[in-house]
Amino acid sequence: MKNIPDKNILLFKSCMVNVEYPGVESSTKYIFDKLGIEYAIDPKQSCCTGLGFYYDLFDQVSTSALAVRNIALARKSGHENIVTLCSTCYAILKKSINLLNSNEKARDEINGILERAGLSDMKYNEGDLSSENNVFHMVEILYSKVDEIAPLIKKDFSDIRIASHHACHYCKVYPDHAITGARNPMILDEMAKAFGGNVVDWYDFKKATCGAGFSQRFANRDLSVSATADKLLALEGEADMLLHMCPNCQMQLDRYQPVVEKEIGRKLNLVHLSVAQMAALGMGADPYKVLGIQTHSVPVEGLLKKIKDI
Amino acid sequence: MSTNSKTLQITPDADNKGQKTRDYKNKAKKSTKTAGEKVGVFICRCGGNISDKVDIEKLKSSINADFVEDYENLCSLNCRRHIREEVIDQNLDRVVIAACSPLTHLRTFQNYADPLNPYMVEMVNIREQCSWVHSDMEKATPKAIGLTQAGVEKVKKARPLKKIISRTEKSAAIFGGGISGITAALSLANQGLKVTIIEKNPTIGGNMVKIGKVFSPEKLAEECSLCILNPIINDVVNHKNIHIMTKTHLLRAGRRSSYFNLILEKDTSFVHEDRCIACGNCVDVCPVEVPDEWNQKMTMRKAIYKPFSQAVPDVYTIDVENCIKCGKCQKECNMNAIDFSLKSEVISLKAGSVIIATGHESFDLTKRPEYGYERFDDVISQMDLARILGVNGPTLGKLQKISDGKVPKRVVMIQCTGSRDEKTDGKRYCSKVCCMVALKHASIIREKFPETEVVICYTDLRTPGMYENYLRYVQDKGIQLIRGRPGEVSRRNGQLVVRVEDTLQRKPLEIETDMVVLSEAIEPSQGTMDLAKKLNVGLSQDLFIKEKHSKIKPANTDVERIFVCGTAQGPKDITDSVSQANAAAAKVSEQIKCGTEAEPPVAIIKTSRCSHCGKCREICGFKAVYQDEEFMSIDPMACRGCGACAGVCPEDAIEIKGLNDQELYAQIEGLLADKKEGEVRILTFLDNVGYTAADTIGNNRLTYPEAIRIIKIPSINRIMPEHIMFAFNHGADGILMAEYPDECMLEAHKAKIKELSEFVASKGIPADRLRFYKAYAPHYRGLAKQFEDFYKDLSAVEATK
Repeated sequence: MKNIPDKNILLFKSCMVNVEYPGVESSTKYIFDKLGIEYAIDPKQSCCTGLGFYYDLFDQVSTSALAVRNIALARKSGHENIVTLCSTCYAILKKSINLLNSNEKARDEINGILERAGLSDMKYNEGDLSSENNVFHMVEILYSKVDEIAPLIKKDFSDIRIASHHACHYCKVYPDHAITGARNPMILDEMAKAFGGNVVDWYDFKKATCGAGFSQRFANRDLSVSATADKLLALEGEADMLLHMCPNCQMQLDRYQPVVEKEIGRKLNLVHLSVAQMAALGMGADPYKVLGIQTHSVPVEGLLKKIKDI
Repeated sequence: MSTNSKTLQITPDADNKGQKTRDYKNKAKKSTKTAGEKVGVFICRCGGNISDKVDIEKLKSSINADFVEDYENLCSLNCRRHIREEVIDQNLDRVVIAACSPLTHLRTFQNYADPLNPYMVEMVNIREQCSWVHSDMEKATPKAIGLTQAGVEKVKKARPLKKIISRTEKSAAIFGGGISGITAALSLANQGLKVTIIEKNPTIGGNMVKIGKVFSPEKLAEECSLCILNPIINDVVNHKNIHIMTKTHLLRAGRRSSYFNLILEKDTSFVHEDRCIACGNCVDVCPVEVPDEWNQKMTMRKAIYKPFSQAVPDVYTIDVENCIKCGKCQKECNMNAIDFSLKSEVISLKAGSVIIATGHESFDLTKRPEYGYERFDDVISQMDLARILGVNGPTLGKLQKISDGKVPKRVVMIQCTGSRDEKTDGKRYCSKVCCMVALKHASIIREKFPETEVVICYTDLRTPGMYENYLRYVQDKGIQLIRGRPGEVSRRNGQLVVRVEDTLQRKPLEIETDMVVLSEAIEPSQGTMDLAKKLNVGLSQDLFIKEKHSKIKPANTDVERIFVCGTAQGPKDITDSVSQANAAAAKVSEQIKCGTEAEPPVAIIKTSRCSHCGKCREICGFKAVYQDEEFMSIDPMACRGCGACAGVCPEDAIEIKGLNDQELYAQIEGLLADKKEGEVRILTFLDNVGYTAADTIGNNRLTYPEAIRIIKIPSINRIMPEHIMFAFNHGADGILMAEYPDECMLEAHKAKIKELSEFVASKGIPADRLRFYKAYAPHYRGLAKQFEDFYKDLSAVEATK
């Protein structure tokens, strides 16, 4: 497995986490604090632009210019290991770093933008960061610490049937960087198992998309919802919880589950949690103050009742 | 009849060297010079091809040598006698032939100059490099003089060389006892070689014995594979020249000048093979049951077993990993054949040649979890299906679902599982046989179980050549073909569902089916890769054994005397495997029978100077350098004499036989000696391909500046910084080095260019004066343009002086 850091971490804020599921960030901080992982959050950090980029609103140059600014912040505070909460931030940052390291023309253009904006001190030099060794997803940190987290789990998840949904922007944009492979990713399954969960081995449409597809959610709503429904219906009666690693997927499946339920006229009883939320819950975090389950569309309370203390 | 007309019109008194008469019988006129320095120059007029553009009389009178004469057609048989007699009568010990290209006639003249050592003959190309490319006699004549005189100077430094005869031991080791290995073994054994087949499994026969039927596009039928193979296997077993070693693998290998020293390990099977009579009584009492590989783990076997009834060698074997050593079989065995104290043996084997015929592995289908192999009983592989359809298989040939034993109503086959897949974990290549395998199984199913439908989901149907007839034949039996790569296999209400987009109709489909068959990719086996590493044989990008040249050397590997055949080298069917096996056998035999000769230039290591640093071995792309016991050695058969090793040797322990330094310096100096004030002169070093291109410029009567002077070298790796310096110091205005970018030597090539460029820069010589060019034989116009451009650039510089 690649070298995964546990210090000098910039915990990279995500728009979708902060707006939709702030509990994902607070859960991650909760775990990091318990494990003694050294990290910082920089209030000056800006958005990765990923949503805008994949909606074709931002071009690559402005996206990478913003990345350079965020990278400069990370470097300035000595937190060069950027850890994202969202798989799109992860892919966007990697792509920008690769571009900046390999394309001199683009680098000069972007540095020119910074200079004109009066940010000369933030300019990027070739090789300042490496996409492989400086950009990580939060699940990778947890995965590398799974042996430390597992003994801290105080909840019994053994009655909970847990299925996983891996993020496309984690697996498919840089498949060689994905720590449990890209064709049959098992990172969430392995962690859920380590936390004592009853992991659903496979389900139909396991490898299918959440359906969000960025603009597809709005431009092709029927297709988007039917893809979401495929997954939800495949899990009907098969799982109690779907484990997530990307706020966009979590949002798509959690927010649209009531839509699908309304359409089919029955409840699906599938709860959506990020793996950080699950780990924090297991470690004793407060479901409301830390996990932020009040922001979920599908109520989590029913599931919580089934989870006993060990 | 010009070839027979020696130029008698040239009067004897044209001889300018007094009585250096053409009367070769006049032995009294022998020179008093001591042996070793007498150079004779033979000039060819080439029926006007040369003499029309070169003033032969002037050329003759300008050359400083012991004997100079011209002839109308020097290559004619008539001249053979003249040359030979002059050599004898004039007591010549070195000969310059000023005529055409050495690529055309060097051998001819080496032969004509007999009894001289062939390496004492130098050819000067005054046709392709002079008369054919320069139209002006005033310019062509001085150039011809310069070229010829340089040839005289060069040949003075020549040393007699012997051809190096390489003897290969008359034996071969063949790794792998499948159809490829068996075929090669039989061919070699029939030619009288001692052959050892080394097989890691307990039996030979490979995959072909398992597959039941083979497709026959000519007969439009499926034939019994075991029936075809069994007689061949029997021939192998009974052959006095073939020794079979099963359960054996290579531990390590040493390369020697005429053989390989192979250290093999034969794993124990706790059975004395010579005592076992294969009665099978042991099997009944064995309490251990494990899944049977022969039936793709669909049935069970005992820990003591014979892989299949016709297995060869016909003995029982113990699966040591699973045996609990309870001793029941030992008690049962009347032959006393079972002995638990038997250990693995290490055996040393000397083999002149090695053939790698280690076959392939099948793609691990669990890497495509979306297809449900191992999750659903009725999702199987083509090899599983082959066993099911085999009359000696788990169902005795009856098509049955594994889940409930019923005949499936529909079978869906998914092609390209693992093949033609550019994503991670996928194989980018086409596995080549799967379309035919699927069609074969579809044909058998439609024939024997006409109630069962067959649907094949394909990416492209690849049935080239005669196989297309077979496709039509199977299509006529009523199968459904859908172009599309299925996304998932799932189960709904107990029934398998294949989700696929019919890409011809642009429609997503869900096909309900009872059975799914995945056409698994052929992939390189771990065993092959391990073997390659131990033998230092190169692998392709896809990790199969790399052939030396896919077009002209398809059975050679990059190591001399190691060959490859069958699927170890890449996906192929039985027909192609057998062809390649026979090719490999032919190559082994050719080397042994013909007692191969290596011709200079070759590199020789002076072992007394060698410090075994290994740099020469690292740089040699032809893998000619190896460590023989303690000494570094060069296999003359593999060596191209390119000189890369000599360039990196810190001890100066490597000599290139065939183009020694003195010859090179003499030629450089000679080609620059007649340079006049204000003249531009470009030395051009060309490898064989570059030289061919230069010849072709002449053949096509293109022109280029007279300033170009060509030196033929084995490779630019032969050229050291001191040669470059020497050339510049002696008046070269520019140096052009053109070589074909041979894949094997690409790295050495790049390093050489860097070395020479940096050297030139360090000496303050303008970088533009040393140029490199990639030569291609058909792109001779490109080379001519290089000549032209280089000359123009240098002339411009000269003009500003």
